[in-house]
Formats: sequence, structure tokens, C-alpha cells
Amino acid sequence: MFNKILVANRGEIAIRIMRACRELGVRTVAVYSEADRDSLHVQFADEAIFLGEAAPKESYLNADKLIDAAIQTHADAIHPGYGFLSENASFAAAVDSAKLTFIGPSADSIHAMGDKAQSKIKMKQAGVPTVPGFEGLETEVDFKQAAKKIGYPVLIKASAGGGGKGMRVVNAENELSEAIESARREALNSFGDERLLIEKYLADAHHIEFQVFGDQHGNLLHLFERECSVQRRHQKIIEETPSPLLSPKIREKMGQAAVVAAKAVNYHNAGTIEFIFDPKTSQYYFLEMNTRLQVEHPITELVTGIDLVQWQIKIATGEKFPFAQDDFHQHGHAIECRVYAEDPMNNFLPSTGRLLQFIEPRGPGIRVDSGFAIGNEVAHFYDPLLAKLIVHAENRETAIQKMQTALCDFVVHGVATNIDFMQAVLKHDDFANGRVSTKWVEQTLESGSLLPAVLQPAAELQNLIAAALSDILFAGSKPQPAVSNETDPFSPWKSSIGYRIGENSK
Amino acid sequence: MKSIFGSQTIEINTSVDDYFAILDGKTVVVKILRAENGRMDLLIDGERITAYVSSDGAKRWVTINGRTVMLTKTSGAKQGVRHEHAGGLIAPMPGQVRSVSVGVGDVVKKGQTLAVIEAMKMEIRIQALKDGVVAALLVQVGQTVEREQILIELVDKLESENV
Repeated sequence: MFNKILVANRGEIAIRIMRACRELGVRTVAVYSEADRDSLHVQFADEAIFLGEAAPKESYLNADKLIDAAIQTHADAIHPGYGFLSENASFAAAVDSAKLTFIGPSADSIHAMGDKAQSKIKMKQAGVPTVPGFEGLETEVDFKQAAKKIGYPVLIKASAGGGGKGMRVVNAENELSEAIESARREALNSFGDERLLIEKYLADAHHIEFQVFGDQHGNLLHLFERECSVQRRHQKIIEETPSPLLSPKIREKMGQAAVVAAKAVNYHNAGTIEFIFDPKTSQYYFLEMNTRLQVEHPITELVTGIDLVQWQIKIATGEKFPFAQDDFHQHGHAIECRVYAEDPMNNFLPSTGRLLQFIEPRGPGIRVDSGFAIGNEVAHFYDPLLAKLIVHAENRETAIQKMQTALCDFVVHGVATNIDFMQAVLKHDDFANGRVSTKWVEQTLESGSLLPAVLQPAAELQNLIAAALSDILFAGSKPQPAVSNETDPFSPWKSSIGYRIGENSK
Repeated sequence: MKSIFGSQTIEINTSVDDYFAILDGKTVVVKILRAENGRMDLLIDGERITAYVSSDGAKRWVTINGRTVMLTKTSGAKQGVRHEHAGGLIAPMPGQVRSVSVGVGDVVKKGQTLAVIEAMKMEIRIQALKDGVVAALLVQVGQTVEREQILIELVDKLESENV
């Protein structure tokens, strides 16, 4: 086992990883930027190294500084978490070169899955279903012919892409040349690479991904799916498992396809194969592979009962993954809600500030992975995730009820959050019926049926009374200056030495 | 004691055991069951509720039954600072100024991107709402801005010629 691990991340995921380290008896090193001096992840670690300015380039994205910090603290491994450098093949290679262990897949696997066009070609060769389309086209004529063969609407996307950048839906031939041009420009600006691919656009598709996990000895399994279709502008909001859409037969086929896909790039450690799923035909297509731990990994942990982060660490030491596919079953239903510091009433734009109140829900089947506490500053430099609220219950219906109750008990003051918005989603008939595609949030927002319920006059009155009363009750509740009115200088109430009434001093 | 939140005035009076809240001429009885650390258990008109309240300057964050609202307290005498400026472009979110693509005196077209603000990996383009001339640049690249802070002043072309 490792002696010490440096966690090259911040917020909830840094704490999640450090928790697993502690459980395994491994010491932890946190890294932090100027903006994170007082952050929870810094307090949680055994030691902490300052990286630099708040800007990610000067801190969490600075490979040299991170590797230096690991060497300086005599750490033997680096866990990258998600985001930042987690899917950067040259960082993984640099960690190896520094004689440290990168807790994740090999640099070669990251590289092979990093390019959308290359990975798609590889998947086709391996026999994994991919969205009908073409790669490596250059001229507009080529694209036109390809689009005709596929049939409109088509999707143009950047080979090097991600996060929806350099992506265009084209409904008819007369829109094609402009779409190619603007997608190229955006791809070049965002990724320094203007190559595009073209494929069939699936309008009402769901996003269903499969967790895979493998050791360095060739044992690679899948840990079932996560339905992640509740998203807005490619940002996931609510995830659940099992997916309400999959029959056992399709689940098994997709799981096998995920294993084939991961094996095609000699994958080890935790990874995720994303599929687009067409609910009309039950057809599924490989979309991309995320070569890291996912934000939404907890729901998989809850239904399968294994600790993915602990296993990531064990696998990285060379340990075997001692399970067979038949050892895994889905128990009950798990849902994750991502509590973001963003304001649904202000077009979902980020909201920053100091947390004046932060009360996490508790109870059986409720898990909160969070990186914040009351008094912390939510800064604008990093992503807006405050906490992940995860519930586990017997079935989908009871899990939804548990989530609604838990969200109700989550109190955040100081920044706006999407809690009310998620309540509106959970309450919606389409969600109850599993009819939420990846475009659903945007479409439903436009139609106006996702607004939080209007406050009743009685509720409004209660709010006003509470606000006015708190001014009376709490305004004077600040600690009084320590002026004593007592006349007895020997009063026991003044003694700073531990003293218990009714107990003789020994 | 009277408090004004937005457009509503609420008055709280006390008697021996109870509080009375008066809003729009109607009086409701409020009993305090427990109050500590920004949490209050109350009986309002016989209904038992738990309210969480935090204050920050004039802002009051209130959560009851899982719904959070932010109320702004206004004192009767002084009105809150208004951010409405005829030609002022304001930041729609807090963040950092990523780029400014115009200078004072530049003629700009409606819809033209004048600056870009970034927060939490999100970029927002600040675009001209009308044709005009840049009268003042109030921020620099790299500067941190608050929500509703004025970034750029725009005036009509005619106005600028008169100056």
C-alpha cells in the first residue's frame, strides 16, 4: 500500500478521496490555491502545500507545481480526482516519469480515448456500436455527401472536443457550410485543433453511461449504468441508477459493449463509457469514454456496495480486482442531485459569496459529499458545485421521495442555489415517467413548466415574520464584551480550569 | 417595531408572552417556541414552522419548508442604491473580466461584444444593447467584479458629439 497520496484537486472530491485514504491508513497531502486557504479540503489533509494564485493555470492545472509538491512531501502517488488534469495524458506520463504513481489509467489509454474521432474509429474496429457517421473529412463537398448518406438532422462536432464546444446541429443542407465554418473556428479556439466529425443527430436521446473497473492484470468488469439525462447545456444535474429505461437484456448487452470498449484501449482503474440511448428503438451508441472517476460515482457505490475510490487506490498499487461479473448486482435505487451555486432566477448564472448558513440533510440512506461549510467563501474561479446529495432506497419511487425530503432539509444561505429547481424537476410527471431526454431541461424551461411553485401568500407572510423576528431576536445576540458584573473575585464561574459541579477535585 | 422588506411593511409588537405581526392591517399571533443560531421554531397563526434566517447587511435569507428566499430590508428614509444607468452595461454575474475589446471613444454596434466576464468556467459576453459610443471603461482585464457592477458606459452617437 502507498504511504502517502497527494490529492491534486479541491472541494468535495478532494475530501472524498482523502476519506478513502484515511480508511486505508494512507497519509494525505492537500494542495491549494490562494482562494482556497481556508477551504475544508486543506483542513482535512495531513499536510497541505500552497500552489499559487487562484487562477487554475497557476494552481490546480499546473503540472510542474503539483509534481514538485508530491516530491517535496515524499508522496508516492497522485490522485487527480475529476476535471483539472485528470484526463491529461501528458500529466499522467509526467507523474510516471517522476517515479510517482498516477492513480488512474495509463497515459496511453487516456490518449487513445481523448480524441473523439480516433476513439470512434477504434470502437468501430472493436465492434462497439457508434452513431452512424464519418471521420476524417476535409472539404465541404465531403461533408455534404456524408450528410446526405446519413440523413438530416446531422451533428457536426470537434474531434478534440468536449463540453459541447465546437458542436452544431444541422437540420438541412443550406445550414451546413456555415455550421462547418463556425464549428471549426470554435474548435480551433478551444482546443487548437479544427478537425471535425459528422454523425446522425438523435433528437430525443438519453445519456446512459456504464461504470467500468479493471485491474492491471486484465480483469475488467462493468458496474452497471447511470442515467444522466437531466442536464442543462451539457452540465449534468441529476443522475440515477438503475435507469428506468433499460430492460435486463439491454442492460447486459450495453454492459458487455462497455467492457469491450474499455478493453480495446487496455484500460485499467475506474472509467466510464458514455452511450447515447434512443428510447424509441432501444438502440445504443458509444459516445465517448471518460478516463477518470466521475462526479456521479457515489450512486454506483450505493447500488453495488463497493467503494470505487478505495479500489482505485488498491488497483494502482498493483493489487488484483478480486471480483467476477456475476458478483455484482444492483441493490435498490440511488439518485444524486448536484447542488450548484447558481441562480435559476438569473438564467442559472453563477452566484458567489460567503456561506451564512449551510445545513446538510441527514438520515438513513442519505449521503452528502460536500466541500463547503458555514463561513466558507464560494469564489468565482472554480466550478459551482457546492455539494452532492445522494440517496439510496428500495426502489425508484421511494428514492425520489427520500430525495425530495432531503432537499427540503438542505439549507444554504449566502449564495443562490438550484435546490428549488431540482425539486421542480423531481416533481415533474416527465421525470416520474422516465421521459427525460438530454434536451428536456432546456425545452421544458422554455415552455415554463419547470418554474418552482409560486409562493402562497401564507408562505410569504411567514417569510416576512421570520425575517422581522430574527432582527429582534438575533440582532442583540452577538457576544457581549467580556465585562464582568460579578463582585466575587473567587467565583467558580470565572475559573478557566475544568470544574464540574458536584464533583470533588482529585 | 416596523420593518420594510421590498414593498411590504411588517410591524412586530410584543405583549407578555406573544408577538403580534401586523401586515396590511391584519394581525397574526406569533409564539416563539425556540430560537437559537439563526433557527427559530415558531407558531404562526397556530401553524408550527421552523425558519432559518441569516442576515448580511440589508439582505435576509429565509428558509421555511425547504424554500429559500432572499428579502432586502429597506429603511424608510434611505432608498437602496439603484444600478439603473441609461447606457451603463452591468455585470450579470460576479466574476473576473476576461477581456475588454473596446476603448473610450469607440463607435459600437448593437449586439457587438464589448467585454467578456468569466466565472466558474462559464463565459458571458457583454454585448452592446444599442448602437453608440463608449463613454467610459470602468473595469480592466483581470479585475474582479460584483453582480450588477457597471462595466462600461455607452452613450448615443449624437450625445457624444455634443460633448
